[in-house]
Amino acid sequence: MDFLKQLGMLLRMNLLGLLQRLGLACTTVIGVTCAVGVLVSMLAMSVGARRAAMGNVRPDRASVLNVDAVEPGRSNMPKDQAELIANLPGIRRNSRGQPIAVPEVAVYVQARRKDSGNAVGFPMIGAGAGLTDYAPELHLTAGRMFRPGLPEIIASNYCAHRYQNFSVGNEQLIGGGEWLVVGNFDLGHTTGSCFVYADANSVLSAFRRSSYNEVNVMLQSPAAFDELVNAIKSNPQLPVRVEHEAELAEATEQQVNGLLNFVSYFVAAVLAVAATIGAANSLYALVDSRRRQHATLLAIGFTGAPIIASTLSEAILLAIPGALIGAGLAWLFFNGLSSSLLEFSFHLAVTPYLAALGIGWALGMGVISGLLPAVRAARVPVTVALRTK
Amino acid sequence: MKFLPLLWYGIWRKPIRTTLIFLQVCVAFALFGVLQGMKTGMDRAIANTPADVLYVGPAVYGEPPLPMADLSRLQSVPGVKAVSFNQGILAFYQKPTQVVYVLGIEPTDLMRTLLPEELIAQPEAFAALRKTRTGILITADIGRKYGWHVGDKVPLTSSTLQTNGSATWTFDIVGMVTFNNRDHGVYVFANYSYIDEARALNKGTVGHFFAVASDPKQAAAVSDAIDHAFANSASPTHTESFRESAQEDLRSLGDLNFAIRSILSAVLVALVFSTATMMMQAVRERTPELAVLKTLGFDSRTVFLLIATESILICIAASLAGLALAWITFPFAAKYIAGLSMPMVIMVFGILGAVLVALISVSLPGLRAARLNIVDALAEEQ
Repeated sequence: MDFLKQLGMLLRMNLLGLLQRLGLACTTVIGVTCAVGVLVSMLAMSVGARRAAMGNVRPDRASVLNVDAVEPGRSNMPKDQAELIANLPGIRRNSRGQPIAVPEVAVYVQARRKDSGNAVGFPMIGAGAGLTDYAPELHLTAGRMFRPGLPEIIASNYCAHRYQNFSVGNEQLIGGGEWLVVGNFDLGHTTGSCFVYADANSVLSAFRRSSYNEVNVMLQSPAAFDELVNAIKSNPQLPVRVEHEAELAEATEQQVNGLLNFVSYFVAAVLAVAATIGAANSLYALVDSRRRQHATLLAIGFTGAPIIASTLSEAILLAIPGALIGAGLAWLFFNGLSSSLLEFSFHLAVTPYLAALGIGWALGMGVISGLLPAVRAARVPVTVALRTK
Repeated sequence: MKFLPLLWYGIWRKPIRTTLIFLQVCVAFALFGVLQGMKTGMDRAIANTPADVLYVGPAVYGEPPLPMADLSRLQSVPGVKAVSFNQGILAFYQKPTQVVYVLGIEPTDLMRTLLPEELIAQPEAFAALRKTRTGILITADIGRKYGWHVGDKVPLTSSTLQTNGSATWTFDIVGMVTFNNRDHGVYVFANYSYIDEARALNKGTVGHFFAVASDPKQAAAVSDAIDHAFANSASPTHTESFRESAQEDLRSLGDLNFAIRSILSAVLVALVFSTATMMMQAVRERTPELAVLKTLGFDSRTVFLLIATESILICIAASLAGLALAWITFPFAAKYIAGLSMPMVIMVFGILGAVLVALISVSLPGLRAARLNIVDALAEEQ
């Protein structure tokens, strides 16, 4: 009880005293603001990139790949296998009673940027019948769907905005042939990258291929995944495996976010160290300016523990506003801002989770910066401090 | 000179405070060094990429390799001065995690000097490779990693099989090369003729060609001319200049540059504020001492200079330590970002920055010290 009472009194005294030492208090606040602000803003890029990459993921969609393919691009799916897969149990059927199983083949081809004229790669996806059933989030904003068997493509609006010749009516030279752009589309949350769809058979013949990469299926329900897996296991004609859409999206997302997360945490950690040192320095100065006070308190019977606790609490109390301001500024300036990395653009997102993370970091900075000054405050040699100035 | 002891005393008056200021400035400048090093590394990589070397690959990623027979046709495309090529085979040494990427090349002087900023190879090494059909040139990195030396015979396992069905390729190490990009540490050079003759599949093909344009300014036009020439052949090509693809790589990092600049500004603001507050605190605590100095006849200017020099010394020392720290971390950071470097100009900027930080933060406390009224200051002590 005594401890709490002493702590309360000390805290009140310290905080009132702070008003006379505003500069020192601000050092901690500004340092923490910078560190937390940078951490939250940079992680807002990762969160935004993740949202764009994972936003369309549905638990009732899955992809069937070759059993030993390390990634969808290296998977090989012969036409006869694709047909067998479409008739497996667990796959949803559309209004006309056909299974929603869309074979896909992807090729990487080049376009030119509008601004620099430089070449950039983009995936051209040849999709079989049922694409609109499989991807209801595909929303045509101009033109119409491609027709089977013809050299026609629909391009995402990102292509149309950033790259040359992707508006409806344009022609593209791809794989040695002319392709007519017949539509532009948005695909749910994935609005930040360029890719085009065409008919699977048109792509297979233009690129002299005989097999697809994968078959994308819409499941009857997320739980039907196991049913499909079991059906595949019991069929020796199918050397294939099934992956949830989420797992494949996760792998793609890691490419962008691996770099972003590394840079974010590295820079934020360095800033946190600098801010902690600055805060410790100003706390030392504060503690030093209170030597006489502390000595007096110790002389009249206060113990060291409440002094240590009060200094630590003070450090934490100074760090928290810094965290709030930092996270607030990050939200104010960067939330919703569009950004791009590795030919992939997305909107920054400052989430409550990031704000909480920032406050967590600030608490850490507060405690670490307060430790040594707190011990020093409690260790004032009473007689010396009282005798000298 | 005679003020040196005074300066020294001032700096070490509160050792903990000085150490902490030193550390804070040091950390901030280490970050400056790493971020700027990253940026200059990337800029320099682009500037050093030859504009006249074109990379000719299959039009579609993952398509079959290009026929060697295209070489003469490529040479006849107007604007093409010379052509070389390479064919990589992916292999491993002893276990699959120890990857070695064997590049089959033609050991000519053209190949040796194709990318002078990227590849450093002595003529003797290439001559040795020409003499030994099964020879390879290795990097010091890979030599250290696997304990390889010139003269050793090394068996590599690859999924590219030989005509006799064997997956084991045995090479003789005949010399060393250096790649500036540490990412390329797992590359070794071998004779294309040996690899092509020994492999079971894809004989007579190459992974890609290198075409040198006679006029670097015409590189884009020559690229298009090459792709056009092969557009309707059995193996359509995609050509781009090394410079162009380096620019694209940099551009793909997008807003990182903006982020670097914003971060550095944030750091600078926080740092200046922090050091300024600490200096203010120091001057406040030293008011009686400064008053004594003035009583002894030091004029305001000298007192100001004394305080300013103290902080400049601390900041410069700390910034040098920080830049050195950044420089030490480069080899580790190179794993994530290639080509980090710290040119002289960054050092100079760093030191100027340190002086600037010191001057801004000392201006207010310094003025306060200089304007000190002796009588008031001495009276404050009572």
